Amino acid sequence: MKSNSLWAIIILGGFVALFFWLRTIDWVGMFNIEQHTRDTEQKLGDLFWEHIADEGEQITDSFTVATMDSLVHRLCDANAIPRERIKVHVFRADVVNAFAMPGGHLVVNSALIADCKSPEQLCGVLAHEIGHIELRHVMNKLVREIGTSVLVNMTMGGGDGGQIGEVVGVLSSKAFDRDMEREADLKAVDYLTAAQIDPHPFADFLYLTGNGESEEAFEWLSTHPSSKERMEYVLEEIGKRQFDVKPVIAVSTWEQLKTNMETADSLESH
Amino acid sequence: MQTDLNAPLDHEMEKASNSYLMSLLALLVGAPLPIINLIATLIFYLGNRRSTYFVRWHCTQALLSQLSVFFLNSYGFWWTISIMFTDATLTNEYVAYVVTVGLFNVFEFISTLYSAIEVRKGKHVRWWIIGDITDQLVKEHS
Repeated sequence: MKSNSLWAIIILGGFVALFFWLRTIDWVGMFNIEQHTRDTEQKLGDLFWEHIADEGEQITDSFTVATMDSLVHRLCDANAIPRERIKVHVFRADVVNAFAMPGGHLVVNSALIADCKSPEQLCGVLAHEIGHIELRHVMNKLVREIGTSVLVNMTMGGGDGGQIGEVVGVLSSKAFDRDMEREADLKAVDYLTAAQIDPHPFADFLYLTGNGESEEAFEWLSTHPSSKERMEYVLEEIGKRQFDVKPVIAVSTWEQLKTNMETADSLESH
Repeated sequence: MQTDLNAPLDHEMEKASNSYLMSLLALLVGAPLPIINLIATLIFYLGNRRSTYFVRWHCTQALLSQLSVFFLNSYGFWWTISIMFTDATLTNEYVAYVVTVGLFNVFEFISTLYSAIEVRKGKHVRWWIIGDITDQLVKEHS
């Protein structure tokens, strides 16, 4: 019996040792798992983007594209985010909303731009959504809501239009969890201050648009945690920092962008 | 690993051998669900608990052998499910665990197959540790 026990200990010990040895091997790197994950994310993003592009009307005039590009450029450059990773799309829609999708696609509705009181507020929203993208919240949310197997199946052509539409609905109208929203808010403060953009208007946007306005119209806020709470922790975070600020874009450019968006909104509501 | 018992009868050898084969069959049928082979062995054990000592002893050993891999496989199974359906990510630890448990299962599979063949010949195959526990649980005159 002693000999049997000794053999059992040797075999079990062998398996434990095998596990500890195997875990020192970089399997994730060996099988290029991160690259496969990125490729899957990119395919999903492109798939969802095609669906959205078919459903809505994108605003593609050169002025809007160039202005939005300059805002995103500034945030990306200051925060070492490769510019090509973020693809901004402006949509004609009267719901105040912006949302991130896999593959770095960022959709902003014209009503949200029209509702912003300053370019700094708009930059705050953009920084928040870029935060979700960079912190990989988008894929985490999708995996939780939809499941890896369904997502992988979609990239292989297994998803029909209805299913893709449902997933896009999850992305555009369902909130990230509280911790993720907080993380993205604080990341936005990071990005804004690094880009020398005043983050106070972002806090104002959270508070002002969350109070006294129709909840339905403000989908972006209705899917996020309490505006007051967010404003408070964003202001607290800002208070801890020292930073310089520089104007984001010329006043006339901002006014023109707003006018274009308001026109787009009125066209949409008619 | 083995000692001769008083020669069991042919139908006893067959039943005792089947207790091991049952777990192998269930393993093939319910491969991804670790509970299936445990349930199959348990049903076989319950059906033969009033049988002869030789049969009861091997049914118990087969059941205990399944129990040992059940916990390892269950942990791996739920880990896999969490990667597929939650935001858990595929890590080096996960791959190492799956490979180790996979090898452990192969080892267990071969041991079970060997036991089924030898027990069918009437040999009393004892597994390390599990055989000793079986001795404590199954008494000749119970």
